[in-house]
Amino acid sequence: MMPPPVRTLWAIARHELTDSVRSRRVIVLILLYVAGSMAATLLFITVLQKIEHQLAESLGVQAAAGTGTVTATLWKSPAFRHMLTELTGNRELAETLLDIPPLGLFFGWLSFAFTPALVMLTSTSRIAEELWSGSARFVLFRSSRLQWCLGKFAGQAIQILGALLLSAVGAWLVGLLRMKSFEPAATAWAMTLFAGRAWVYSLAFLGLALAVSQWCAAPNLALALGFLAMIALAVVAGVAEHFAGEGWRRAWDVVLALTPGGHKTDLWWGDAAHLLPACVFLVCLALAYFAAGYARFSRRDV
Amino acid sequence: MTPALTLKGVVKRFGRRRALDGLDLVVPQGSVFGLVGSNGAGKTTALAVSAGLLHPAAGEIDVLGLGPFRAETHGGRITLLPQDSRFPPHGRIDDLLAYYGHLQGVPADRLSADIDKLLEWVHLTDRRRSPVRTLSHGMNRRLSIAQAFLGTPELVLLDEPLNGLDPRESARVRDLIRERRGRQTIVISSHNLGDLEALCDAVAFIELGRLVRQDTLDDIIQRSHRITYVLAAPTVMTVLSEAVPEVVWQISSDGLELTASYAAPWTPGTLNAKVLPVLLRSGAGVLEVRRGSDLETEYFSLTPPLPPPPGAVG
Repeated sequence: MMPPPVRTLWAIARHELTDSVRSRRVIVLILLYVAGSMAATLLFITVLQKIEHQLAESLGVQAAAGTGTVTATLWKSPAFRHMLTELTGNRELAETLLDIPPLGLFFGWLSFAFTPALVMLTSTSRIAEELWSGSARFVLFRSSRLQWCLGKFAGQAIQILGALLLSAVGAWLVGLLRMKSFEPAATAWAMTLFAGRAWVYSLAFLGLALAVSQWCAAPNLALALGFLAMIALAVVAGVAEHFAGEGWRRAWDVVLALTPGGHKTDLWWGDAAHLLPACVFLVCLALAYFAAGYARFSRRDV
Repeated sequence: MTPALTLKGVVKRFGRRRALDGLDLVVPQGSVFGLVGSNGAGKTTALAVSAGLLHPAAGEIDVLGLGPFRAETHGGRITLLPQDSRFPPHGRIDDLLAYYGHLQGVPADRLSADIDKLLEWVHLTDRRRSPVRTLSHGMNRRLSIAQAFLGTPELVLLDEPLNGLDPRESARVRDLIRERRGRQTIVISSHNLGDLEALCDAVAFIELGRLVRQDTLDDIIQRSHRITYVLAAPTVMTVLSEAVPEVVWQISSDGLELTASYAAPWTPGTLNAKVLPVLLRSGAGVLEVRRGSDLETEYFSLTPPLPPPPGAVG
């Protein structure tokens, strides 16, 4: 009588998505995220407008009237190329980044920086809420606990992808309306790619959020613990990055690899040799965090 | 026939408290089975353990002859009406039932008709598209009952199903349960002994997480071995004892209730044919004839009252 596992998983994911979207809290959070990304893009363009004259002057490139015109010229200047190489510490990466339109690059930074927080806000309480209210008791004799949790993971992952794509559309529209030297097709493509990469990056945080949610049956506590865990991971990544080196200090590389932050730099690259391992590692981290939560959930009373 | 549900020596602890302390239970297939016990006796825990929501510390559970609950084997064949659980508030009623139906594996071509029928049964057809958060407590309860009968599962576990329902809705749900008798096994935990008496084939008394007694309702209330006559005036017992010498009589303190305890070859019919003429001739005036005892009396006689709280006077 039980339907095939994939069908059950899909039914749970679909329900999770619609239920999450129907809750006003999630809609408000996603709208705030999109509005925030649009506002940040607008701010970026405004600041760009103010500083590009000074940059043009100091680097000796030709100045122009509209926002982004100088930036486009500056982007191609040898001086800026050299500066970016120094900043990234890798000439190849700098070349890769210089091929991306500035607004696309900004959107990438924005998404990597803020999507984890969105994930924590929207997803940490999803399972905890159902345990708290008892609504999980209507489901857990109909599907297995693993299917239910994985279905929720899938539903939340689709929701985050939607939020990222919406914010990309918002930021692209702001660029279209406010930037003179805007390259619509190239920027749209770059934003879509970065939305996808930020999505993979956020999956690790989603695994963490749902792990906390499976551990903790109080939604507010789950939210607080989720943020604490996210901050702790950022601190661990920072410490590991700082102390990593030769000899025994290579152990810090292992620690770094166990945090999502340890794979963020690889997501800026454009080639599969960097991107693919990072994506695989991040998905594995997502599943590992999720499994740590499930280890408790599979044995807990509901 | 394999029992629908068997619990053997099941122990469930919450901290240091033992909610189930070696509970034994055998629920025959196709029966309507009642669980009776005081608050905290372990009825809700027994149902949750059977449905796999709680993990027992010890003991054996067999659901539908397939071992302890596993979603892979039991999913769609067993349902539960949990006691204090709320539905997700944002979903619409029919969407929610469709979701549960999908998970249970109810065929898509049958699901919509099933939902229609159940919503009609629990009087929620007009609220079909309403979000759950707009429902009253009683409506929520009716929706809980509807979800428990979705997809015609083999074993239905109902925890206080009639709580919070108005008399008319209670009667409808009782009819629904009676209609399913024999086709599904229905376990009902309830404090309303009148409802259980009206619905159940068999009953188990549980106290302090242990089984006190389990039997058919007929045997528990001695429907085949006891008749009570309520009289308008006391009568002379010697006349009765002479008329039916093999019957044991009990008389209430005011002499207005006579209870006959009998065994074969007496039947209610043959006993009444002998006793009623004697009573009427004696001028006692028969106001009521009751077959058997009632569940409440038997429950009180079998289960000792809980000790008074510490520090209580008298």
